[in-house]
Amino acid sequence: MILLKLISWPYFRKHVLRTLLTTAGIVIGVAVFVGMHTANQSVLFGFNHTVDRIAGKTQLQVTAGETGFNEEVLETVQSAPSVAVAVPVIEAVVDTGIKGRGSLLVLGTDMTGDRSLRDYDLEEGDEAVIDDPLVFLAQPDSIILTREFAEANGFGVNSTLALGTVLGPRQFTVRGIMKSSGLSTAFGGNLAIMDIYAAQRMFGRGRTFDRIDLSVRDGHSVAEAQQELQRLLGPGFQVDSPAGRGRQFEAMTAAYSMMINISSVLALVIGMFIIYNSFSIAVTQRRSEIGILRALGASRSQIRWLFLGESAVTGIIGSAFGLLAGLVIARAIAASIGTLMRDVYGVAQRADEIATDPRTLGLAMLIGVITSVVAAWIPARQAAAVDPVQALQKGKYQVLSAGESRLRAGVAAVLVLVALVCLVGSGSRIVFYVGFLLVIAAALLLGPLLALGLARLLRPLLRAIRPVEGSLAADSLIQAPRRTSGSVAAVMLSLGLVVAFAGMSGASYNSIIDWMDGALNPDLFVSPSQDVVIRTLRFPQEMGQEIAAIPGVSRVQPVRNARIVYRGTPVMIVATDIQSLSQTVQRKPVVGDAETMWRETAAGRGLTVSDNLAELQKIRLGDTIEIPAPHGTIRLPVVAVVVDYSDQQGTILMDRTLFQQYWHDDSVNLFRVYLQPGATVPDVKARILEHYAGERQVFVLTNRELKEYILRVTDQWFSLSSVQIAVAVLVAILGIVNTLTVSITDRRRELGVLKAVGGLHAQIRGTIWLEALTIGALGLILGLGFGAVNLYYILEIVHRDIAGMRLDYVFPVRVALALVPTMLGAAFIAALWPAESAVRGSLVEALEYE
Amino acid sequence: MSRRRMDRTRRTRSQGFRGLLVAAVLALVCGAAATVLKAADNARQIMEESQKRSTAQSQRYEGLLQVFDAKGKVSDKRWTLERLGSFGDSKMVLRFTAPAEVKAVALLVVNHPDRASDQWMWTPAIERDRRIALQDRSTRFFGTDFSFEDLEERDVNQYEYTLVGDDTVDGAATWKIQSVPKQAKSSQYSRSLIWVRKDNYALARIENYAKDQLVRRLAYSDIQNVQGIWTAKVLEMTDVRRNSRTKLTLDKLQYNLPLKEDAFTLQALRR
Repeated sequence: MILLKLISWPYFRKHVLRTLLTTAGIVIGVAVFVGMHTANQSVLFGFNHTVDRIAGKTQLQVTAGETGFNEEVLETVQSAPSVAVAVPVIEAVVDTGIKGRGSLLVLGTDMTGDRSLRDYDLEEGDEAVIDDPLVFLAQPDSIILTREFAEANGFGVNSTLALGTVLGPRQFTVRGIMKSSGLSTAFGGNLAIMDIYAAQRMFGRGRTFDRIDLSVRDGHSVAEAQQELQRLLGPGFQVDSPAGRGRQFEAMTAAYSMMINISSVLALVIGMFIIYNSFSIAVTQRRSEIGILRALGASRSQIRWLFLGESAVTGIIGSAFGLLAGLVIARAIAASIGTLMRDVYGVAQRADEIATDPRTLGLAMLIGVITSVVAAWIPARQAAAVDPVQALQKGKYQVLSAGESRLRAGVAAVLVLVALVCLVGSGSRIVFYVGFLLVIAAALLLGPLLALGLARLLRPLLRAIRPVEGSLAADSLIQAPRRTSGSVAAVMLSLGLVVAFAGMSGASYNSIIDWMDGALNPDLFVSPSQDVVIRTLRFPQEMGQEIAAIPGVSRVQPVRNARIVYRGTPVMIVATDIQSLSQTVQRKPVVGDAETMWRETAAGRGLTVSDNLAELQKIRLGDTIEIPAPHGTIRLPVVAVVVDYSDQQGTILMDRTLFQQYWHDDSVNLFRVYLQPGATVPDVKARILEHYAGERQVFVLTNRELKEYILRVTDQWFSLSSVQIAVAVLVAILGIVNTLTVSITDRRRELGVLKAVGGLHAQIRGTIWLEALTIGALGLILGLGFGAVNLYYILEIVHRDIAGMRLDYVFPVRVALALVPTMLGAAFIAALWPAESAVRGSLVEALEYE
Repeated sequence: MSRRRMDRTRRTRSQGFRGLLVAAVLALVCGAAATVLKAADNARQIMEESQKRSTAQSQRYEGLLQVFDAKGKVSDKRWTLERLGSFGDSKMVLRFTAPAEVKAVALLVVNHPDRASDQWMWTPAIERDRRIALQDRSTRFFGTDFSFEDLEERDVNQYEYTLVGDDTVDGAATWKIQSVPKQAKSSQYSRSLIWVRKDNYALARIENYAKDQLVRRLAYSDIQNVQGIWTAKVLEMTDVRRNSRTKLTLDKLQYNLPLKEDAFTLQALRR
């Protein structure tokens, strides 16, 4: 502690900028970790909060995936001896048309019994405020709003609002307002209640319910009730606590969480390298100080603990600021993650509040401090090993000895070999990830050697550009590789990440575009919702004939898609007219043959699965898969595996008749419409819209519009890459500023001599700028190389663990090219202040020694 | 006297004392039980007589339902009610006639002697009928102070009765009887107190308790003889906890009309 006060504190005060830069490394790492996780948690919290609030006193919920089930199931559930109260529920997300208010979650319930489960907590005391409960039930336009929504939009009892329904925009009458508590806080307050039977009509549900909420009769346990209901209803139904929905949501968004985890960990690793770099530099700079301390009797252990103490303090301060910055980041991105979740997974929820989990914050703080201490461990050891005699031999310590270089190269070669072995035997997940970590370790070990070699290679080029400044800049890097290696490693790691993510998104784009071109070739798509992923509004199947009769239409294919639970995981069922589909799309299976696929699937004798489902669930061609449905269990063989990007957890393609047989559901989510030769897209689109004007809510998307929509969602998904590029640039700037600041301090005498013998300010500046650009170039070259390897591993992770999709390896050349000016520009910007500092440095002070 | 003998004597005395005590207690218990049994028998007989006197094969009336909330706000609804069958085994259709927003909303209640009634509601605006589940019967009947359960008929056999004593209601002498639902009957009320007029066996008042807390009070007034059946033309239900009341006034009351069975089905409800 005394050493920290007497030795470290004055050093920090003297090098405020460098201290700030060092701390910034951990701030960035912790901020990205906290920001990403908190934003993600906030979305999950928002979803769980909505589920929890809506659940009220519900102890169990009966569902059949997203598909819903017939009304008769209610009587079965109500007749179970262990059930006290069972009420049906429908949920629908509708567009309010009110600017800035987004969607409204409409909860359709049976108000005659639902109050046993949910406390509506109405304004002005109980149900008198549903102006008249009988009128509420008798009039299908009745709706109850939350106070937040009503006040924000100026609604009162008996005022009207328009909502989008399958019957077109309909005016609803506000018959009650809920107080600001409990249920009304669900979905960020954008919640409305209406009668379930009116909701069935308004949202095209026919005679089905989404789920049944129930409470358990006294004297029975929840587990007993769960078992009894599961036995009564069969495997096609899920009987779970409300929290189970949250777990399913988490399972569904696992891919996104995985991406966030990878980004967070790499951000921390990058932060670690900034710290490592800073402390390495500090150790080299303070060698004389360490030598004096050692000469005065300080033990090696004391010196080591001095540096580790400094790193711990840096870690604590950096982590604290990182937490704050992370919360700011989380607030900024939570809403967009919520939108992304809705667009990608079709599950609407809101994240209006930041859910700060003390465990996440504590973990981030701990990780920040540990990262800082771990990063400083090697420099601390080096400091402890300083020989007091050698301490005054300036410059020598920054050279990599031939022995050390050989050791590094040797260890790296061994690691690469082991990594290759891991890759060959990568059937095991652990072995694969160990191999990946070994590759990263090898890259970090080889980084300084490669940087040194590259600097030597670049020297002639630099000398050719600017004979004096170029030579000086190159020599500075060659003579002090330790000073540069940390920065180069940090830039290399960040660029490796950028390249990998860019490559992954590029490969995904290509694959998605291929899939869209093959599978999504209708001229028009008719949907009941503006967001085609929102499946809470549905059409009746009769609309198919109506659309087919519209002039210009040659073929209509109804599509019913819904998530079901398969082997405990939510996967997507796509049910359509396979016979018709086989005549319109060109989809070659990746496993199996096309003829068998179309024939068997169309006849309802087989199922076609997506390649990601096959990979994630280990399904092979010919395997019989069992899909429990409300009206029996489908047991059919897999007749083909196709590329399909409809859902991250996988897709099962089946004929519509099979779906109707096992789900008793003939509703439609989307109509695929093909035009007759000669008919034009705008004309037919206009006719469809005109046909349903005022009668139904119909959105007609052209082929191009739908593809743009999908690509827009894909863009949102990969928007994470832009955050990573920003972090990479920031890391590069921080690292280079740090390195140059030290470089200038180290070379004060050299620069002073240069100025004394007539060196111009422009030459000094030029030297620093070129040095910075060279560091940037070294990081860039190594980063692109490391990125190329990293991309391979990331694609494998996507294939194995994230989405089961096999993406082609395509190096992101455009991104790599864009990174060249970006990183060199960042390096140049980073050099501006240090160059000015070098130019304006006192000549007297610089030559004091002489 | 030897110790053994003394012990035997003490044991004999003790056994004799105990025997007396048991006999006394038995006598007391049996006497009390006999009294309770007699009172219970009387109570059941009174209730059976009351039910017998009010029994009709069918019934029809036009009702005016007035809900007075705690703030004094009054809302009116009108309905027509038709009932077919006797107590505990009857069917009832209730159709709202006013106000316009609820016109044609209908309710079908099918009472069973051995279990709770089945109830369906028809809402014409969405052309849907809905079953009102057994567990929801404690829910208030469309914002009135009646619950769905209160609409059911109280068949004598569905309850255990005890005569509590005599009382006077609106100047008329009454029997005060306690009713407790039998196990088979699911009720929101743990017990009820029923006042039956001695002069005509018409019900004068019912107080419903849940866990010994008075929750609802139903007062019968304007009791008239309609076609030989003493009937209250005004029923007023007070929800004690909510401090609100609902008044039902019966008009155009008729008994023993020729009503058809098929008028009391879900299909008929939808017409």
